Amino acid sequence: MSRIPFRYRLYGVWAFLLLLFVGFFYTFDLDLGLIVGRVPSLLGLTLTRTGALQGAALTLFLSISSMAISTVLAFLTAMGRLSRRALPYGVATFYTSFFRGTPFLLQILLIYVGLPQVGVVPSALFAGIAALSLNGGAYFSETIRAGLLSVPVGQREAGMSLGLPRHVIFRKIVLPQAMRVILPPAASQFISLLKDSSLVSIMGLWEIMYLSQAYGKTTYHFMEMLLAASAIYWAMSLVVEVLQFRIETSLARGFQRLRSA
Amino acid sequence: MPVLAMTLRGTIRSVATGMALSLLPTFCLPALAGETLDRVTKSGVLREVLVNDYPPFSFINENSEIAGFDIDLSQAFAAKLGVKLVSDSPDWSVIVAGHWKGRWDICICSMTPTAPRAQVFDFIAAYSQDPTVVVVNKDNDSIKSAADITGRKIGVGLGSSEQDYLERHFVSAEPGAKPVVYPFGDLTVVPYQGEDIAFLDLALGTGKRLDGVFTAYSTAKGRVEKDSRFKIVTGAHFFRTSSWVSVEKGVDPEWNAKVAQVIEDLKKDGTIRRISLKWLGYDSTPADEATTTTSSQ
Repeated sequence: MSRIPFRYRLYGVWAFLLLLFVGFFYTFDLDLGLIVGRVPSLLGLTLTRTGALQGAALTLFLSISSMAISTVLAFLTAMGRLSRRALPYGVATFYTSFFRGTPFLLQILLIYVGLPQVGVVPSALFAGIAALSLNGGAYFSETIRAGLLSVPVGQREAGMSLGLPRHVIFRKIVLPQAMRVILPPAASQFISLLKDSSLVSIMGLWEIMYLSQAYGKTTYHFMEMLLAASAIYWAMSLVVEVLQFRIETSLARGFQRLRSA
Repeated sequence: MPVLAMTLRGTIRSVATGMALSLLPTFCLPALAGETLDRVTKSGVLREVLVNDYPPFSFINENSEIAGFDIDLSQAFAAKLGVKLVSDSPDWSVIVAGHWKGRWDICICSMTPTAPRAQVFDFIAAYSQDPTVVVVNKDNDSIKSAADITGRKIGVGLGSSEQDYLERHFVSAEPGAKPVVYPFGDLTVVPYQGEDIAFLDLALGTGKRLDGVFTAYSTAKGRVEKDSRFKIVTGAHFFRTSSWVSVEKGVDPEWNAKVAQVIEDLKKDGTIRRISLKWLGYDSTPADEATTTTSSQ
């Protein structure tokens, strides 16, 4: 049975499941020819007439910048949650509680429609990145806190007994071990962010879902355009999954047992 | 765990502040408290808002640009003023929520005046009139008149004036509007977030999830021309909706007067009629008496 290598059996399972899906969609009687002409703009290979990013390019831009900003926010918040002082602890818990406990739609509108009421009119792009970052940061902070807490106190104590400075202990001892715990949920977080970014389309940002829904309405073929969008999202998240696998493997080096050849 | 807190806090904080500060000026424009007319004239830019999903009035075409009746009219409007047109197309819910605070100057976006909307918008002038119709499956012979929708399951756009009408609480904010009549009995109204799902449900077969979809004639016409599974019930007559040019309520009376005048000019010189013929194939310009009334402030 194990004569066929694991890798090829894995490909077989994927191909089989994928075929089942394709068969299911085949029953929908879809007009896939319609998708072809819309693919370049869905992928964002071209700019819009007004020179803005669109489609997958915009989705990626939104997701990557939001992930970067939310990582910073999440680290700060995790620090606040681990602090014993009331102010940082209070701010951090209030922030996570609010952004995890209220609908994302409301958070978007608070920034996009709320800020103009106090005199600042943010652009859709700014409001989108701000909303995605704030929301993502709240969730991600708990992942980071969990990761930091997973490193036994003895590790830091050992570092201190060697007389290492605090930032070295953090960078060289705590962080690498915490990253092993943080990474898998962080990849999940990024994949959700890719798809959550579709919600900011309500402000008129031409990302994948915005375009696919608009095209669906114009061509009266809603499912086709949605499927095209789904394929793009899935392809992007597959890339994230592969990256996650690579980084995980490299972080796990210290924990693997050496097998005799 | 104060060790961690101490070491990273400083650097992260300065990085974050720097990022925020560098982003702010590029992404935000200050709310201009000035009058709309002054702003449009001085900046030479008309900021228009409309939707992206309402063919043939406004939609995204194969060249990935906004096209349709509404945008053509907006272009003509901007040309008359001698300014450049910039359009945004957010979700309808964001548009009708109002309170734009100067983000947009005008909405030529197929908006029908209703009492709740009149609280946040000034409706300046009607530019297109549209009967509402029932769309059914091609093989359906049981719905022939308005009364035939009684007892049926009818899909409708969530939050639309069509939904208000079917549920018998449509209140027009149109000056001089006739009293609304409801030529049908009790029925099951099924609101949909988007009409597309409603039509997918209708296509499953009459009565499975829906018996018909209640919608504007102009949009239904385009759909049945492209999708042979459906037909419009020609013998069923309901109310008419009309699309008005709207602006943020009570901001600038001079701007309102200017808008009214420009729309009047575009009507007189046949521009609106020409745009209507181009996109709808017929003249949907409303009869003159109900068109030039500016709304009460």
